[in-house]
Amino acid sequence: MTSPLNREALLQAYRTMRIIRDFEERVHVDFATGEIPGFVHLYAGEEASATGICMHLNRKDYIASTHRGHGHCIAKGVDPVSMMAEIWGKATGTCKGKGGSMHIADLEVGMLGANGIVGGGGPLICGTALASKIRGENNVGVCFFGDGASNQGTIFEAMNLASVWKLPVIFVAENNGYAEATSSNFSVAVDNIADRASAFGMPGVIVDGFDFFAVYEAAGEAIKRAREGHGPTLLEVKLSRYYGHFEGDQQTYRAPGEVQKLRETKDCLMQFAKRVTSRGELSAADIEAIDAEVKAMIDASVVKAKADPLPAPSELMTDVYVSY
Amino acid sequence: MARKITYQQAINEALDQEMTRDPSVIVMGEDVAGGAGSPGEDDAWGGVLGVTKGLYAKHPGRVMDTPISESGYIGAAVGAACNGLRPVAELMFIDFMGVCFDQIFNQAAKFRYMFGGKAKTPVVIRAMYGAGFRAAAQHSQCLYNMFTHVPGLKVVVPSNPYDAKGLLIQSIRDNDPVIFLEHKALYTMEGDVPAESYIVPFGEAAVVQEGDDVTIVAIGRMVNYAKEAAANLRKKGIQCEIIDPRTTSPLDTDTILESVERTGRLVVVDESSPRCSMASDISGFIAQEAFGALKAPIQMVTAPHVPVPFAASLEDLYIPSPARIEEAVMKVKEYR
Amino acid sequence: MSSSPARPTRVGIIANPASGRDIRRLTSRASVFPNAEKASMIVRAIAGLQAAGVHEVLLMPDKGSISPLVYRALDMNGPSTEGQGVRFLDMTVSETIQDTLTATEAMRDAGVTAIIVLGGDGTHRAVSLRSGQIPLLALSTGTNNAFPEMREATVAGLATGLIATGAVPPAAGLRRNKVLQVHCDGRDDIALVDACFTGHEYIGSRAVWDSAVVEELFVTFAAADGIGLSAIAGQLEPVSRTAQHGLHVRCAPVGDTPRRVHAAIAPGLVSEIGVREYSHLVPHEPVLIEGRSGTIALDGEREIEYHSRSRIEVKLDPNGPVTVDVAATLTYAAQHRLMRGYVGDAA
Repeated sequence: MTSPLNREALLQAYRTMRIIRDFEERVHVDFATGEIPGFVHLYAGEEASATGICMHLNRKDYIASTHRGHGHCIAKGVDPVSMMAEIWGKATGTCKGKGGSMHIADLEVGMLGANGIVGGGGPLICGTALASKIRGENNVGVCFFGDGASNQGTIFEAMNLASVWKLPVIFVAENNGYAEATSSNFSVAVDNIADRASAFGMPGVIVDGFDFFAVYEAAGEAIKRAREGHGPTLLEVKLSRYYGHFEGDQQTYRAPGEVQKLRETKDCLMQFAKRVTSRGELSAADIEAIDAEVKAMIDASVVKAKADPLPAPSELMTDVYVSY
Repeated sequence: MARKITYQQAINEALDQEMTRDPSVIVMGEDVAGGAGSPGEDDAWGGVLGVTKGLYAKHPGRVMDTPISESGYIGAAVGAACNGLRPVAELMFIDFMGVCFDQIFNQAAKFRYMFGGKAKTPVVIRAMYGAGFRAAAQHSQCLYNMFTHVPGLKVVVPSNPYDAKGLLIQSIRDNDPVIFLEHKALYTMEGDVPAESYIVPFGEAAVVQEGDDVTIVAIGRMVNYAKEAAANLRKKGIQCEIIDPRTTSPLDTDTILESVERTGRLVVVDESSPRCSMASDISGFIAQEAFGALKAPIQMVTAPHVPVPFAASLEDLYIPSPARIEEAVMKVKEYR
Repeated sequence: MSSSPARPTRVGIIANPASGRDIRRLTSRASVFPNAEKASMIVRAIAGLQAAGVHEVLLMPDKGSISPLVYRALDMNGPSTEGQGVRFLDMTVSETIQDTLTATEAMRDAGVTAIIVLGGDGTHRAVSLRSGQIPLLALSTGTNNAFPEMREATVAGLATGLIATGAVPPAAGLRRNKVLQVHCDGRDDIALVDACFTGHEYIGSRAVWDSAVVEELFVTFAAADGIGLSAIAGQLEPVSRTAQHGLHVRCAPVGDTPRRVHAAIAPGLVSEIGVREYSHLVPHEPVLIEGRSGTIALDGEREIEYHSRSRIEVKLDPNGPVTVDVAATLTYAAQHRLMRGYVGDAA
């Protein structure tokens, strides 16, 4: 049985989800003004997944993420202030402004990188898990991927390899229903991504991604199993993204009112706050205090990101093995 | 103490010595032990050509057979490198890069720069390359030029047993992803190799022989063909300087430039097809940096721009020969 | 079977595409029941129904899990077309339990005289919340199944058809089930097999697989060879489906009580449970539970979170759903020679 969450853990869970939400909502607003360069893909709506899973991890556990990676970064402990600077392309960014939204990584905290290649992280996380296994440690690797990546050969190869080598890996299929604009009901040939687990000799489980507690519990069991040396698990987290595939996507492929209805009825932050306050585990004042603190932090991160310096021209030629 | 061993034995010895020295070095690939889970003997193969034979028993748990799943295990090697191991992954034939290139060029090659210098990825990907085995279009290509094109990768093409051992040890100790390419026609080549461990640094070309008339830059197996050609040319009174870059990335441009400025004549020999090749790259570099020193147009000796054919008669035509190198040298020498 | 009724005989089929996917695949290696097999079961059940003279079969649609396999197997052009006496309900699919509730209501409104249910205990519980007195044919496809049976769908379809058309009278082929009525802070719910009070704080991933959290258990019946939480009761004192009473078990930590029982509480999991006491659960007599917090699992899935101020009442109701007794129905058919002659020819 997953140990019950104490007050500190509940506060941490809510705060992490709130940081992700506010971070993404703020990037959404700022991107629309044209000030943020490049492509961004927002995680808003999916917070319970990254948070419920990463709360079981320590700094030596690795995660591999996706192009929709801000939430995973924050949940794994990457500093949101430096992330904001990275997204603004500043020298103070997590990757000194050389990675951008799709490539935020911080190996110090076990974040192996958001990834611009759909399905790119599966093989990589098998490697971090292999390293841990060979050294006799009990650290795990978590590969986040989407319903789109669930059809990539790299994910199949990684799941097979993880089973063959009995690696401590948790494959987390975040099924938000759309690969870019194409419905997963069309593109995934089986009705549940979790059903593919049996083909790779591992358990496959479906969990409600709007419910932090459901994700937290299932992830706890899967991670415990991996740490104890029993091999990989596939968790399919059914959830939804509130924004488009990328910022600027008008989402005309979605049903009218779909997102609004989810926000009103299933939102993970709303459900969480309602549940913990109705049971008296946290007070309304606790929730409000976190909301205010996080809002101030995100506002400050944007002020700082805007004011921070651009990378020096000399940075063009550093951090690479051969510069001609 | 040096003794004569083969190119293949030199590679095996480098792996063995590095695995003994550093417990974070592991070897993985298809059949590198050869027989995992099969009913017969362990380490039956030691790789399809036996290059890793014997390592399995000496280094238990660190020589791992993989499924035929190149994206999966090449990517796993890259991930393990990010988490403290020094994996040497064998891709068998370099032609198989087609099924795992993303993990090499979008993942491994990019991490250090893209993550702001905070990642290191000390992975070595070994593979055999080159024509001459009647292995046809999908098992005979060179392709080092494609890796050389990608910033973030280092590319190693040893032409003899001594370099093979020293360059492989350097590859394993290097903190960057290295593509280590072994010409399959060289595996049986014998040469003097010290028994002790040593490194050959990257980006330092070998001047295989000195000469003042023509500079020949040759890659991998072509170095040996250039030596054959040069021996014949010496009888005609033409002194060739042969340069073996040993690594195409980083490329020792200084040594090439210095030589061409002295000889004024350049022949580049490259077993791959001509467009966007090492031959065209080195030619372009010299045309840009030493135009004034050139006494004749640069000559490229390459394979034709066709897939590698199967029939022996055609494959022999495909591969650059010592005779064609001689012709090219004569052409630049006699240019007026 | 051969008579032409004034109105066509309709039967509904509800198959839950989500059954057999919960966390027990991870915690105890429970089976994955493929949806392709559920679709095949539907097609086989339809064969049985039609052989028994059922005119129209209504199916619950889903978002491409089972439905397409069924309409392709039946050579229909799509879910919106009718073909071979089969019709998909016109309803919005939410991929939640709401689909089962909506489909049951729609079938009830369409006047079905029986519903075949493919799923686990949870699916059957959901159908029972809306099906009233319509006879159910309970077929197992889930994980933790005490209520539905593992049966060949063709035979199940045949028996259901014989009941639905009136060929076999209710008294001969139907069975009345008990049900647990659970009231918690104004919420009314039911359990067909068991209601379990657990120490889990959250509904979380719903399933119950850890015997250490089981605090109190109510069962309508308990088979000695059952699987699931009711197996605990089944090894203390088996209770048949037709007995008047149920069983009420108070558990305790294994170290706190000399009385212990081993039971298969989930697939792959035989656990030791400490038992403080157990007693018969008498119909209509409510049992009150107060002063604790936790979750209530209904038929194996955590459904209700309650706290120390919650007021909870559990009551055994003898008037639960009516189910088709396949063996009894077909035995009656044999005794009355219903299957001799022109089976399948409704003319």
